[in-house]
This record gives sequence, C-alpha cells and structure tokens, in this order.
Amino acid sequence: MLIITCPFCGPRDEVEFACGGEAHIARPLADNKISDADFADYLFMRDNPKGLFLERWRHSAGCRRWFNVARDTVSNEIVEIYPMGSLPAKTAAKTTYKTSWRRDTAAEKAATPSRSKAGGSK
Amino acid sequence: MVSRSAASGSPQTQRQRAVARIDQNAPINFTFDGRSYRGFAGDTLASALLANNVHLVGRSFKYHRPRGIMAAGSEEPNALIRLGKGAYAEPNLRATQIEIFEGLYAESQNRTPSLKFDIGAINSVLDRFFPAGFYYKTFMWPASMWMRYEHVIRHAAGLGKVADDHNDPDRYEKTHAHCDILVAGGGATGLMAALQAAKSGARVILADEQNEFGGWLLGEADIKIGDVPALSWVSDIVTELAAMPNVTLLPRTTVFGYLDHNYLTLNERVTDHLPSRPAHLPRQRLWKIRAQQVIIAQGAHERPLVFAGNDLPGVMLAGAVRTYINRYGVCPGQRAIVVCNNDDAYRTALDLHHAGAYVVVTDLRATATGPLMRAVRDAGIEILHGHAIIAAYGTHRVARVEIAPVDDSVTAITGDIDHRDCDLIAMSGGLSPAVHLHSQARGKLQWDDAKLCFRPSATHEPSFNIGACAMAVLILSPV
Repeated sequence: MLIITCPFCGPRDEVEFACGGEAHIARPLADNKISDADFADYLFMRDNPKGLFLERWRHSAGCRRWFNVARDTVSNEIVEIYPMGSLPAKTAAKTTYKTSWRRDTAAEKAATPSRSKAGGSK
Repeated sequence: MVSRSAASGSPQTQRQRAVARIDQNAPINFTFDGRSYRGFAGDTLASALLANNVHLVGRSFKYHRPRGIMAAGSEEPNALIRLGKGAYAEPNLRATQIEIFEGLYAESQNRTPSLKFDIGAINSVLDRFFPAGFYYKTFMWPASMWMRYEHVIRHAAGLGKVADDHNDPDRYEKTHAHCDILVAGGGATGLMAALQAAKSGARVILADEQNEFGGWLLGEADIKIGDVPALSWVSDIVTELAAMPNVTLLPRTTVFGYLDHNYLTLNERVTDHLPSRPAHLPRQRLWKIRAQQVIIAQGAHERPLVFAGNDLPGVMLAGAVRTYINRYGVCPGQRAIVVCNNDDAYRTALDLHHAGAYVVVTDLRATATGPLMRAVRDAGIEILHGHAIIAAYGTHRVARVEIAPVDDSVTAITGDIDHRDCDLIAMSGGLSPAVHLHSQARGKLQWDDAKLCFRPSATHEPSFNIGACAMAVLILSPV
C-alpha cells in the first residue's frame, strides 16, 4: 500500500487515489492522416515496464485533481511527482521519458500540428 | 506414561514447583480429547498438557506418526489441535499459543478412532507402498470408479476439520493507526528500543504475540540485566511504557504483514483467552498501521538437530524445555538427554537437573569449555563430548536413543553405539534469526558461515533489525 504525496493535499494513502495509467500519450490530430496500425499504438498499446514508469494519478477521494508520478514498479519507490502537462525534471525520469518507444511512433509525431497544413489552412 | 485413571482434577504429576507466572491458587479445568484435565492460570494448553504428562497430542499428515509438543511458542510445528465446539471450532491451532481458560475444549486431529489407536497409522508401516502421488497414480483405473475412490481419499486428506457450521458467530473488527515507530517484538531488545523511542517523544506502538512482554526472558532462570533480575527489569519497563501517553502496547498481537511504504497489518487476539467473550469486544482485531520507521525485534528460533525419530513426542527444543521449567513450572521429562552443538543448551541441562530430572548431555563438539560447561560438570551431570544421537525410538513417546561418537564434521560414526533409556530429548542446533518480516519487506539475506544461518543484510523499507534477529545478542556459535 503506497503513500502518494498529492501536490495539492500532501501525503495520503493509496486508497484515496485512482491510477490513470501511462502518462504522456499524445492524441494524433485529425488532419494528420495516419494508418490504423499507427493509430492503434496510440489507442491500445500501453507500457508495462520493470523499472521506472511514468504514470498519471488522480486524488479521487481528495482534491480530485490529476498529476504525474514517476514510480519504480520493482521497488514501488516514487521518484518524482510533477504537474500535468509538464515533463519530469529528475534525470532518471527524464531518461525514461526520452527513451520510451512511444517517442518514435507515427502516432506521437502526428500529435503535433503538421507544418505544411498549419501554414496552408490558416 | 499417561495414567489411564486420570480423572477430573487429576494431579499434575509433572508440575515441579511454584513459579511466578503460574497462579497455583487459580486452577482451570479443560478438556482434551474428551478427558478432563486441570491446569493453572498462566498456562498454555501445551504447558498444561505437559503438566499432566500428556506428550502425544496429534498425528502427522500422511503416515499418521505420533506428534508431540516440540516448542513453546509460535514456532511449534507439531502440536496442532482443534479448539472449541460447533460453530466455534477452529482447526490447526498451536497448543503452545493457546492460553487455557475454564471450560476450554480441545481435540487432537487426524486420528480415527482415537489418538492412541489410529487406523491411519497403518500407512506408516506400509510406507514403502505409498510413494508420493500414490493415490493419484494408483486409483486412475478404472476411470469410472474415481468418484468412489475420491470420496475416501479426500476424507483422508487434510489435517484439521473446519467448523461444522460455516457461519462464524464471532464478531471481528478492524482499526487504522499511524505511528512514528512500530516495534515488532516485545523481548529484551524490543522493550529497550520502544522505551528509548518513547522517551524521545515519538509515537510508539509495541506489538508482541505473547500474552505478556519479555520474550525469551520469560523462560530463563537467573538472568540479570544490569543488576536487576531480568523479569523485574521487564516489568519496570512495561510499567514505564504503559504510563506514557505516546505509547500503545499491544500484547497478544502478531505482526503478520509488511506491505509497501511501511504499511503493516497486525492481528490482535482480543478475547480468545477469555472463558466467556464480552459482547462489546470483538474476538480479534485487525490493525492496519502506517509507520514512519519499523524496528524488527522478532528474535530467533532454535534449530532442531537431525536424527532418525526426531519427530517423536518427547523430542523438544532445548530452549522450549527451559521455558516449560522456568515459566510454567513443568518438567517435561524425568530422564532427559540434552543434545546440542552450543553452550546455550547447557542451561537447559542445569535447569532440568535442578527440576529433578536425570540428565545426560550429548555435545556434538569434541571439546567444549566455558562457564556453563563447567557448571554442568560440577553439578555431576554426565557429558559426552563428540557424541551425537543417531536415532530415537518409542511408540507414543521417545523411550530409547542410540548415541555414538562422531568425527569433527559430524558426518561419520567413529565408535560403538550406546543405547540409553530416556523420556525426553532436548535438542539445540543453535539459533536462527527470525527474518520473516524483514524478508516480507523485501530485505536481503546473507549466509553466515560461522553461525550457520541466514542473517538480515540490506533492508528495502525504512526498518531496522535489532537484537537476536539481527544476531546482535544471544546467537551462539555452534562448534
């Protein structure tokens, strides 16, 4: 049973939280046409690593706000807790983010507006 | 050895002398296997049975070999009994942990029709025809008959029987708590740790599985801590702790779970030791505790020694024998053989001697020196150096042993085998730290070549091992 330090409320028992699964999965934009197989990477594929894992948690029985947690799945050590929409600051968590297979997927690349279309339509 | 005419209020033939922890003015009547016995307030079921010279308390799982009382605490592997009647019946409880109360009703297990005459014991004679998996390999054919075989086989399987009524009538309760320091184990080091922590102002919870604090000290004679007798030292500390508002004392409470981030689960037996259970109290209470720091002071378990027949009733751990003599005033035998590889067991020899038993010490070591050995020799007790027990024989209780001289590595017999009569074997193979909680908390273990045991090394959670479970005190080097 973990103790998770909610950035808004402080350390609380795991029972107060809900885990939202893997963090940093960007949705491909509609104008960026990608194949079904590439879209499946976004929609279905989730990591289950042995070691450091970046995941989202919600303080569902408290302030009900979301935040990110870098947790070691082997030792259950919580390395870093950082806000939604930002990236981890600790070296180990940073490396985990950068080296994730997801960074190279077509789905993730399609999550940022493509330059040609952005210039053309607006 | 058990007198068949023993009736209600029978004399406790093995009760030796008055000891502080047994109130001889408060007799307690209880029933074991339909026979009435009498013990005293302060007894466990095991000590009360031993006081009445009952060693045979069960049958083994497959071969129905006789089973007796081997230890004096939660490490008991053999004396598993069924407690209570009807819906209250509970199987596989250790007789060594059950405090007796007026009207206690207990039964032995895994025997038909009676403990002394058990039909299943035929398996023991025919053991060569019952290899592992025998039932499943033999009764496969014809397939249509399996359902009939199964009925018989399933009936023979398992040790205890659960209550006939599956609706538990008792009430249970759970509670959550937080503390700065949780001390698991209320022996000498656990008490000292709790006291020091409490004096610093920390919120302390001290849990111990026994009905009173003191651990191994409760079973020792003439031990002093500083200048004070050990047990007055214990009661002084317990009094001091009980008066502190930041301390919670939990006797009869086992720390059984060590989960992530120092989350521990404890089982408190609130009313199990009372003859009638007050309606406002639960039978047991589950504690869920989040601790900043955990101090593991679980102590150590004595190791048995290996010889043929070392599972017979009457073969006990040396430390347990000492506990029965000093804590319960019960001498478990009259002709005792102490077999050991360390000095600590010589204390047992002395205590047995003082309790009036005839004692022979069999030491696996070729030579032994030290004050305890000298004290035993001066008491006129025979010591056989460099000898080992090869085998123990007996039907319902050990009656005879074979002793032979052995070489230094205790692997070969170097001389003639000697036969001795005995009704008690006290064995000691040294102490092994109780590393259960440490291991549950993903702590690492390290093999200690000198002490022949695994000792705790790196911890994973914020916890410390102290005392005997960290091999700091009392752990004696064999050979």
